[in-house]
Amino acid sequence: MKKKNKKYIYLFLSVISIGGATLFFIVNQPHRNIQAAPIDYTLTTTELVNEYLTHLNASNKKYLNTEGNSKILAIKGIVSQISTNLNNQHVVLLQNKNDKAGVRCTFLPEANTSSLKKGDLVTVKGVIISGAQYDNDLELYEDVILAKCNLLLN
Amino acid sequence: MNKSFLTFAIAIAFSANSIAQTSEKLVSKIGHVNFFSHTPIEDITANNYTVTSTLDTTSGMLVYVVPMQGFEFEKALMQKHYNSPKFLDTKKFPKSKFKGVITNLNDIDFTKNGTYTAAVKGKLTIHGVTKPITEKATITVTNDGIEVTTKMHITLSDYNIAFKKGKPSTNIAKTLLIKATSKYTK
Repeated sequence: MKKKNKKYIYLFLSVISIGGATLFFIVNQPHRNIQAAPIDYTLTTTELVNEYLTHLNASNKKYLNTEGNSKILAIKGIVSQISTNLNNQHVVLLQNKNDKAGVRCTFLPEANTSSLKKGDLVTVKGVIISGAQYDNDLELYEDVILAKCNLLLN
Repeated sequence: MNKSFLTFAIAIAFSANSIAQTSEKLVSKIGHVNFFSHTPIEDITANNYTVTSTLDTTSGMLVYVVPMQGFEFEKALMQKHYNSPKFLDTKKFPKSKFKGVITNLNDIDFTKNGTYTAAVKGKLTIHGVTKPITEKATITVTNDGIEVTTKMHITLSDYNIAFKKGKPSTNIAKTLLIKATSKYTK
């Protein structure tokens, strides 16, 4: 009888600890590693911007994910501006001179962007945050925004 | 002849100057928005550095556009929940917007270095719901440019973001504190 009781206690404790550990891993699951993940679409800045400017809703459906795990893109384009945001991250705008908008890429802190200069043709991998569109209140074309970016070797 | 030409030239110069002033719309693409939720159980905060905004120093018009998937959380699970249809539904509503006007424009001299308090009245659209909002903003004019910072309190249920049961209803505050900063270079 005593032995049986002990068995139940062990069983109970193991269920609790496995359940607890599972819950802990779900709650503390890591962020997606964008650079290690496969590329969903490869396209040029012009292709992506034009797709958004002509079909905004369809593009949002195609590229955005309901849980924020949106598509991972490799974008080829010309460096037209290099800046730093309020979080001290490098932001590189890829834009073709003839396009109304470009693709604004926020680089990872570990990314090496020091060799980049205006006019370079590069391919950048990152996750899409939002698309390009004309905003009546801003009175300007908003760029596509990519986050967690790094350069891909051409 | 000479005199009238001079008057003409001065008139042209002045009108050109006033035209330049009326189109003084500053653009910032490096804004920051932070939100903070406090409950006795936990504090939740997220940051977004992908904000575009414009400030028209002549009309006082202030516009912020916030890509909603640009908010980054410490915990991946929180970020997933935040984006999901149960919460902000960022696939359906990818951008939030504030559009307002500075109502005490006469108190602010955008050409003179200093710190000014602006009263801002406008409309805030989050999760597809638009509500009127009145808040104060701090405008700092320096040699480098103009910085606008504002704090606003947002009640989630006003924007049809409601948690009736479960962990979110106890761990997320009913009212969030939103801080926004945008820097415009002259």
